Amino acid sequence: MTMGQPRVFLVDDHELILSGIRSELAGSVDLVGEADDVDVAIEMILERAPDVVLLDVHMPGGGGLAVLNAVSDKCPTIRFLALSVSDAAEDVISVIRAGARGYVTKNISGPDLLDAIYRVAAGDAVFSPRLAGFVLDAFSLEGVNLEAVDVDPELDQLTPRERQVLRLIARGYSYRDIASELTISTKTVESHVSSVLRKLQLSNRHQLSHWASERHLN
Amino acid sequence: MALKTPPHAVIGTPYRPYRRGVENAIVGGVCGGLAIRLGVNERTVRIVFSLLALVAGLGVLLYMVLWLTRPRSGEDEAIGHRLLGRRRELHRVLIGLIAIVAFLFILLSRGTPNLGVYTWPLLLSVIAAVGVWRGASSDERRHLEDLVKSAPVIGAPIARTRRGLWLRVILGVVLVFIGLRTLNHLRSFGSGTATVFFGIVVLVAGVLVLLAPWWLATLNDLSGERRARVRVEERANVAAHLHDSVLQTLTLIERAAGDETAVTRLARNQERELRQWLFEPDREVPSDEGGTFTSQLHALEGEIENDYGVKVELVVVGDRETDADVLALVAAGREAAINAARWSDATAISIFAEVEPHAVTLFVRDRGKGFDVDAVPHDRQGIALSIRQRMLRHGGTVSIKSSLEVGTEVQLTLPRKL
Repeated sequence: MTMGQPRVFLVDDHELILSGIRSELAGSVDLVGEADDVDVAIEMILERAPDVVLLDVHMPGGGGLAVLNAVSDKCPTIRFLALSVSDAAEDVISVIRAGARGYVTKNISGPDLLDAIYRVAAGDAVFSPRLAGFVLDAFSLEGVNLEAVDVDPELDQLTPRERQVLRLIARGYSYRDIASELTISTKTVESHVSSVLRKLQLSNRHQLSHWASERHLN
Repeated sequence: MALKTPPHAVIGTPYRPYRRGVENAIVGGVCGGLAIRLGVNERTVRIVFSLLALVAGLGVLLYMVLWLTRPRSGEDEAIGHRLLGRRRELHRVLIGLIAIVAFLFILLSRGTPNLGVYTWPLLLSVIAAVGVWRGASSDERRHLEDLVKSAPVIGAPIARTRRGLWLRVILGVVLVFIGLRTLNHLRSFGSGTATVFFGIVVLVAGVLVLLAPWWLATLNDLSGERRARVRVEERANVAAHLHDSVLQTLTLIERAAGDETAVTRLARNQERELRQWLFEPDREVPSDEGGTFTSQLHALEGEIENDYGVKVELVVVGDRETDADVLALVAAGREAAINAARWSDATAISIFAEVEPHAVTLFVRDRGKGFDVDAVPHDRQGIALSIRQRMLRHGGTVSIKSSLEVGTEVQLTLPRKL
């Protein structure tokens, strides 16, 4: 085992994807195991306690959400990075609301994936441009006035700075680009994104809480 | 108008109109619904109906009539209305009716002179019950199936064991026998209505106990068959779509195997198309001069990916209808994107658009080789100029940021007129 490299566990039901990711990550992270079905994944993750689980969203038997729920109940320190074939943020929002630290699409390049894994391992959030756009939409200013009664300003609103950061992510800026654009440190950018993630997970805004239920009906 | 009916009776508060209850339904929700309608206790209504049932079976008949004529809460159509609209169901009900009349004739020929005042109400109720069963919405049907399955004896888990089967047969036969005996002996006892009632109830219970497992099994078969048919149809649709799209593209990719750009382009196109089909099936296809801002941008995304083989990462926040100004903004954005695709050598372009109350903003960004904005070669100035002029004509602004080896970003802003 190599010290300093995050211990990563892969969950995906497609052998091709698994082997592709395996070869891309080999040597750069410590791969501690992989699973191609929900039950096996839960058992092995709990047993091996990796730093980061790379989790496929769409899987038979409850999908990534089932794994996430089962594991985070017992072992909340394990961090999840969702892996989705779709870049529609709506598709992964339930996984993020359940506790994933972000998501990447399956056509992500090797270096970007590695970057995302290290970021999640360090406790930061990974936002794609699409997800940033979705959050801006969901936390739109217009929505707040309409339902001002049960709005918790701590959770249900973004600060102007957070909005700025999200806009830059949506425009395709990397964290480092954002830091130099706003003349703040990369750490500060990361803390803004983490705070947005927290709001995204905990907010009761109509647009967020209703997403999941509508999806499940279909 | 959508009227919200409370799920349970609120005593003292009557609600209009009269809908059959759903959450407070025991059988058909007739009593529950009536209680909600009148604002009285549900139990009171049920007791009244039970007492009425003893008066020549009127309560039962009334119950069935209401069941057929009142829509269920949350549904628009009453069962009777639905039946009349469906010829096939109506035929089935008629067949059921004929079967019941035939059954009655057999009873009469066995020497039962008169079933008393209960005859007609009960007969009509049974016919109505058949109608209810045939015409119930799938939601209500499920409720009724559950009801039947949870009924004692009748719905007891379909006995697979020999012992269960024997018990059922013996119990059924005994009940049928007692029923027939009771009805047969009427002549000697004189036709007391209570005796007739008892006889019929026992007889029907016996038949139910005997036939329930078989009936429930056919029920399950039928709904299983319906589900299977839907699944087959759905599968055929998916197969047809995949054949027309993915399979075709795969063939094209095979043929273009040597040409890397062609393969990437084909794959990307197909990916976009499939993704839209899977995740956004009802996104509108924009016409040249119409559709929303978002749909225009999606069309632009497809065009750039198609023509230039670069990946476009499009993010849109908010949306609005298009007008001349918005179309100009999209056209300017299109030129900026083409510019980036052609000259920057970047493999991906980010397009971000945001519709805000005061302005519409569009960013086109690449992480390509960039250029010195102040020393633009003449062949590129033309494009920058045309973007600028377009925006100025519609009251917008343009800002271009670029640095060598970092990339270029074009920002287009269109203030919204009030």
